[in-house]
Amino acid sequence: MADANRSQAGCYVVHSAEKGTAGPNFQRFPTMEEAVSAVAGQGSFNGHQQPSNLTKSNNSLVIAHLSNEQSDASQCRPRHRFYVDTHLLGSGGDGTERDPWPDVPTAAKHILSMAGDGKLNLRPNEQIVIESRKMFTATRLEKKKMRSQRIAKGVFFCMTLSLVIPVFAILGYLFVQAWPALSWDFVTLNPKRMGTEGGIWAPLVGTFFLVLMSLLMAAPVGVMAGVYLNEYAKDNWFNRIINLAVVNLAGVPSIVHALFGLGAFVLAAGMGKSLLAASLTLSVMTLPVIITSTREALAAVPKSFREACWNMGATKWQTIRTIVLPNSISGILTGVILQVARAAGETAPIIFTGAAIFLPVEDNGVGYWLPYTLKSEVMALSMHLYTLREQINNAPLAMQYGTAVVLIGLVLSVNSVSIALRVYLRSRKKW
Amino acid sequence: MADAEAVSKADAATPPKYSITAKDVSLWYGDFQALKNLTINIQQGIITGLIGPSGCGKTTLLRSFNRINERYGNVTTKGEITILGKNIYDEDVSLSELRKSVGMVFQRPNPLPISVYENVSFGLRVHSDRGELSRAKRDELVEEALREVQLWDAVKDNLRQKATGLTLEQQQKLCIARLLPLKPRVILMDEPCSALDAEGIEKVENLISSLRQKYTVVIVTHNMAQARRATDECIYMLLGEIIEHAPTSDLFLNPQKKETEMYIEGRYG
Amino acid sequence: MASSNVADVRPNRKGSAFQSFRQLVDSVIDACEPIVEWMIRLSGWSAIVFVLAIFAFVFAQAFFVFENDSMIPSLWTKLDFVEFFTSVKWRPTSVVREQYGIVALLAGTGAVTVTSMLIAVPLGLGAAVYVSEFCHGKTKETLKIIIELLAAIPSVVWGFIGVAVLGPLIIDVTGSPIGVNVLNASLILALMSVPVIVSVGEDSLKAVPDSYREAAEALGASKWEVVYRVLFPAAKNGLLAAVLLGVGRAIGETMAVLMASGHKAQIPGGLLDPARTLTATIAAEMGEAPRGGDHYRVLFLIGIVLFALTFLVNLIADVVVKGIKGKQNG
Ligand SMILES: Nc1ncnc2c1ncn2[C@@H]1O[C@H](COP(=O)(O)OP(=O)(O)OP(=O)(O)O)[C@@H](O)[C@H]1O
Ligand SMILES: [Mg+2]
Repeated sequence: MADANRSQAGCYVVHSAEKGTAGPNFQRFPTMEEAVSAVAGQGSFNGHQQPSNLTKSNNSLVIAHLSNEQSDASQCRPRHRFYVDTHLLGSGGDGTERDPWPDVPTAAKHILSMAGDGKLNLRPNEQIVIESRKMFTATRLEKKKMRSQRIAKGVFFCMTLSLVIPVFAILGYLFVQAWPALSWDFVTLNPKRMGTEGGIWAPLVGTFFLVLMSLLMAAPVGVMAGVYLNEYAKDNWFNRIINLAVVNLAGVPSIVHALFGLGAFVLAAGMGKSLLAASLTLSVMTLPVIITSTREALAAVPKSFREACWNMGATKWQTIRTIVLPNSISGILTGVILQVARAAGETAPIIFTGAAIFLPVEDNGVGYWLPYTLKSEVMALSMHLYTLREQINNAPLAMQYGTAVVLIGLVLSVNSVSIALRVYLRSRKKW
Repeated sequence: MADAEAVSKADAATPPKYSITAKDVSLWYGDFQALKNLTINIQQGIITGLIGPSGCGKTTLLRSFNRINERYGNVTTKGEITILGKNIYDEDVSLSELRKSVGMVFQRPNPLPISVYENVSFGLRVHSDRGELSRAKRDELVEEALREVQLWDAVKDNLRQKATGLTLEQQQKLCIARLLPLKPRVILMDEPCSALDAEGIEKVENLISSLRQKYTVVIVTHNMAQARRATDECIYMLLGEIIEHAPTSDLFLNPQKKETEMYIEGRYG
Repeated sequence: MASSNVADVRPNRKGSAFQSFRQLVDSVIDACEPIVEWMIRLSGWSAIVFVLAIFAFVFAQAFFVFENDSMIPSLWTKLDFVEFFTSVKWRPTSVVREQYGIVALLAGTGAVTVTSMLIAVPLGLGAAVYVSEFCHGKTKETLKIIIELLAAIPSVVWGFIGVAVLGPLIIDVTGSPIGVNVLNASLILALMSVPVIVSVGEDSLKAVPDSYREAAEALGASKWEVVYRVLFPAAKNGLLAAVLLGVGRAIGETMAVLMASGHKAQIPGGLLDPARTLTATIAAEMGEAPRGGDHYRVLFLIGIVLFALTFLVNLIADVVVKGIKGKQNG
């Protein structure tokens, strides 16, 4: 109550000001009520600018409580801030920025009643500001929101960047380190002395053989399985289990595939540690990749194409052969190429099933080009890198980096082919 | 109908107040010009219908009133659209504030995949600071909005149910209801009844009629009967241009332009 | 399609000869229809066959001895299963008494997986949101391709990077005596599992109908508000599946953790301690374990544990994904 009384006494100034300019258009009042009444246009306000014009321009009305006659209104701290938007209809609103009052008299009325309730305790050097709320402009909250929006975007951007930068940094670093070793000879010479000298020809050829063999086995089965799942399978429990099996086959750790290869192909089937056993293991591992991508490629062919074909009396298989497969072949290829890249990079599944740490290989003649048979063990680039780094002690660092770079180069270029194919495909797509 | 006439008579006496005015508005999607130098004045507090054949730019025009067109990256707009006295293409316009005051209802009901309650209070959450609105206040506003669209009785026992589980008619009402707590000035509706069955159409139309005066409503429709029933004024568009803008009864009984006449007679469109 | 038909129709001697040959081939292919359909069916079932076969063969190797074409159960009687699941001591080659406790290995797998996910999940989901919601056109495509390339780098190369690049860096920065440890393996694993999180996460955000975004934006929500008020709730199952697939990847990864984790069978006390995972143990010891011996079998048994773990994670992920699809249809 004391507070309320104190706010009655003193010197009140009403002034309206263009933003930025503190014009001389103000008037003094002995009490706040009179000041507010003046604002409402009911009292004796004859300032330069009519208060009712308030919202026409970019200005605000201020009721300041000066501590003494001489003090400056511009020194006062805003204690209450109210908003008026003359575009509004009715008499609603609570004077906040979100819900402004429709005109100045309404504002004055509400301010008076608030003051009557003792809710506005204007101490000396404090002021009430009535601002015009301009339609559709950003409120304080809005500005805050925009700020958090910018921060969020920035954070997400940095997160993305933190994934992208390491890739380039690491690739660049590997390449720089590998540079001394990289030469034509490095690629075309066979490794010597457990790989500490010479090049990487034999492992490179081995990887090629492994990939080719696994491709020959996985691609037909995978593509047909994709065709089955997308074209033949009805939605019943059995096919749901197949789908689940595909998902889980894709999730089986590569080392478990290795165990499977060891148990099934190397031992039970009696293949021994061999190119054949290793390729079979790889093909089982890459099967789900092919199935999934084939399926997606087939699913992208519009249903209407098939219906048109059925309407012409074609059987299911004819439809698939003449319409579905030709229209999805590039999508299927994308998946197959992806499996190639994956098979080329894998190490774990071939460690116990066929990969050799080191094999003596002929340096010319047929043995240079075809160093392995189905029954023989095989060197592979990925295994070679592991060997150079972990199994033997004295491999030159540059050769290790060189092997890594060739392996990455191989895998990435195969991947790029698949990506390029996909981009081309999308640009050409007519439906 | 009587209502509509009353309004237009009243307007004849006092100069009409315009909620939306467009001056020389052109809009391109890439190279394709979808709106060609449109100029219109849409009166405050009435329901204005936008009619015209498919692809004439009704949706485009409607969507430029709350600038939601700009979601598509390839849009260029020229000209001036003034809503409640403010050019919405001004630099200082905040899209968020604009859309708060200019609400939109879409062709297919698209309630958010959250609860009914959260749907209605979504706008409040977006437009108020944390802790600014008390729980009780929010409950009150939600109830008020749901009552206004005559949905309260149907959902009051289960405000936490997912909004996507309601019937289409209820969803569309909810989509209108969620605009109301924001106290919009203008409500834009793009064929709001096209996904509904006959009964739903009637109910939603009644609802729209009840919004008259409190809000300025602009409604796109393909349905001539609906345009006649539910609107006070009609704008007929063709190929991105405005052919005729008149009180609904005049436009339908006594069209000034030949194209309009052919269209309302069902010759094309 | 269309263009090739046009080419076939063009009158031209070679073409018509080719065409009649093609018709012949076509009719042969059509005649094979029943055979082809059966092959397709069989291939379709292959996935189930292989999953079962993997389990069966690994199981058989773990629990049976093959001698003279007969299977003799062996590990049942010998292995102390309580010790297997509760002991910290992994001493397969001890001369005094071999001990096969996988707790330390589980702890290693757990430590590496959890740490890597703490890094990969926020980064992966953040990147998914950025790629899906905040960029368009060329930038979007480029970012997606780069992240795809991240997925293509072979795990042995990641392991090599861990040992040769990251290891020395960790020693320099932290002053730890060894560079191959939980931190190293986790960083490498994080980078390896991020692509799957990003791509599955991005897919699930993309699957949220655009009308939701439009509705929220029409109510005045900013992009960020759309993301956390609408997209996160709407896509939460897909995002969860993304995380689970990342976890599955991290648990199953072999070569990279074998090289980068330090390979010491102990419960790691901190980020800078070396650890050893289930996968790495199999990869490192299978070569030396005498075929048919206890050590050899126990390694297969660990394989079964791994198989079960990843099966479970993938199953949950799948159910979670199916969950959304079911709801969206309903
Ligand atoms: N995002 C867009 N990009 C390019 N062109 C568009 C886009 N949206 C609409 N158009 C084109 O602009 C023109 C006007 O479209 P709009 O959707 O506004 O028509 P409409 O009158 O609403 O038609 P309808 O009655 O079918 O809804 C059409 O020719 C359409 O093809
Ligand atoms: Mg439309």
